[in-house]
Parts: sequence; C-alpha cells; structure tokens
Amino acid sequence: MNLSGHNEQDRNASVNDAERLLRLIASLPAPVGIEDRVKGGLRGAGSKTGVIGWPAANRTPWTQSWYMRAAAAAAIVFVVAGGGWGVHARFHPAPEPAARAVPQQLDRSGGLSPAAAMRTPKTLQGPRVAVPGKAGQQTERDSGLMKKSSPRARRREIKNQANPAATLPLR
Amino acid sequence: MSASQTLVPAWMEIVESPVHEEARRRAQEEALEALVDQYATTLYRVAFSVLRNQSDAEDAVQEVFVRVLRHRDTLGDIRDHRVWLIRIVWNIVLDRKRRAKTRPETDDIAEIARVLPTTGLSAEQRAAAAQHHAHVLACVEKLPAREREVMMLSAFDELSSVEIAAVLEVTESSVRSRLFRARNLLADMLGHSRSMR
Repeated sequence: MNLSGHNEQDRNASVNDAERLLRLIASLPAPVGIEDRVKGGLRGAGSKTGVIGWPAANRTPWTQSWYMRAAAAAAIVFVVAGGGWGVHARFHPAPEPAARAVPQQLDRSGGLSPAAAMRTPKTLQGPRVAVPGKAGQQTERDSGLMKKSSPRARRREIKNQANPAATLPLR
Repeated sequence: MSASQTLVPAWMEIVESPVHEEARRRAQEEALEALVDQYATTLYRVAFSVLRNQSDAEDAVQEVFVRVLRHRDTLGDIRDHRVWLIRIVWNIVLDRKRRAKTRPETDDIAEIARVLPTTGLSAEQRAAAAQHHAHVLACVEKLPAREREVMMLSAFDELSSVEIAAVLEVTESSVRSRLFRARNLLADMLGHSRSMR
C-alpha cells in the first residue's frame, strides 16, 4: 500500500515535471520586434499580390460608375434584341405543300390481330322448298326480274318441277 | 472589447462605392495591424511550442497573417479572433511539422537548451537539465497525436478547456478525457524510463 502510494506520487511528480516544462516552453517570450516584421511581411505580400494580380484591379473599377453600367446594360439589350431580330428576319415560312403525306391506312382492326378469335360464318341460305300448291304464284324468276339463267340450269329447273322431292334437303 | 474587434465591424460597415473604396482598404489594413499587435506574440508562442525553432515559428506567424490578409473580407464574421487565429496557426504548424519530419531531433534539443532560462546553473547542471528536458519532450512526442495536442495546448495558461476544444474542433469533455489519458500515458513512459536507468 505504502509502496503503491509512493509509486503514485512518483508518477504524479514526473507528469507535473513534464507539464511544468511544457508550460515553461509555452511561456517563452516572443522575439523582440516580431510585430514589425510581420507587418513588413504583410506589406510586401500586399504589394506582391498587386503586381501578380490583374493590373486593372488596383484602379477604381469602371463598373462603379453609373453611366458605364447603363451603357453596358444598353449594349447587352442591343445585342440580345439584334440577335433576335436577325433570327426573325432570316426565318422564311415553308410554302403550302401541294400534296400532303397521309399515313397509311390500316384495316378496320387498326392493325391489331384478331388474336385467333373464331369468326362465325354467315348462315348459308339453303334451297327453298317449292310448294306445289303455290306453283301458280308468280315468282321473281317468273316475273323476269332475275337474270337470264343458263340452258343447263333451266333444264335442271324443269327437272325439279317434274320431281319436287329432289329439291328437299338431304338428312 | 479589443481594438481589433471594434475596428473590424467598422470597416465592414463601409458601403461599396468608388469614394469609400480607399477608406475601406485603409480600415482593413488598420484592423489587420491591430490583430498583429494584439496576437502576434501569442501565436508565436503556440508555434514555437510545436516547432521548437524560432525562425520557423516566426514564419508560421507570418503565414497566419498572410492568410488573414487573403480572407480579410470574412473577418467581420469571426466572433473570437484569438481562438480563430490560434486555430489557424495550430493547423499551420502541425502541417509544417509533418512535412519537416526529416529535421534531426538534436536540433530541437539544442534550440530548447539555448532558449530556456539557465541562469544560476553550472555548466554541468545546464547539461543535465538539457538532457532531462530532451528526454521529457521525447516522451511527449511519443504520445498519440490527439493526446499530445491537448497536452501541449493545455500548457498555455490563457487557453481554457473550452477554447482548446474550439481550437481542436472537439467537445470540451473529449478535451478533458484526452488530457487524462495523456497524463497517464506520460506517467507510464516516464516511470518506465526511470526504472530502466
């Protein structure tokens, strides 16, 4: 216990010693005339930047005067407006075309496929049964509205009239 | 309120016009000179504590004010010029030290022995003191960078822990914990070297 306390004291003493040295170094006085030397260096640095820098920067800037600013603004407006007018003057509208290109028309589906949809065919009109009782009735054919049929068809018609059962649909 | 703190807002208020441009420039120069008068010695001491060379420390101070000259338009935004300038010089000297690692350590020791007050000591005592100082400083140099920086800045009586935290851009509590660690590490190192003798 006593030994450890002694060690602790030693540790503290050595650290305090080190801190005292650091404090001593930190409190060392600055060399005499450092301020003047720094100021002299700053003047040199200031003039150096003047030489290196843009020479016009040291003079009174022309952007400060009112009429120069107004002249610059007017020049900018003139350039922009002139450019716009130049574009407008050179622009010629295209003549009305004699023919117009029309896009290719697509079929009714609008170019879309039917997606394999089954189309229902129109029902075919079967042969009509000729009723013998109404044979005397005037048909379209009799009235001569129909086209003139071929001799072969006429022969078949005569045959059918003789044998009406032949006109019945097969089952 | 310090002289520089009163001068800086004054020139910031000068309106921009061709008539006032010259007055503005002159006010800036005066503000800068006031800063030099007020803080050059403090900055020199901070620089010397790290570089341990008079001419290098003076160069570092010069560089600080050249930087301020370049960024003089921002001076009005700075609240505490002292801490701000110390932070600039601190960064400059750390950077310089990093780059000048090739300089032999014996140069530092010779410089310290030259500048430390040794009045009333015999030649032998002076030599022993120089050796001891060199050993202590070597131990300080071996500390981790964060701990070493806090320890070195805490040697400046005029810097509070809040200001050290502002210079290092850390919190005050981390400054305290780093200082605690630094003291322990340094005690171990010095105790170990003592037992080796």
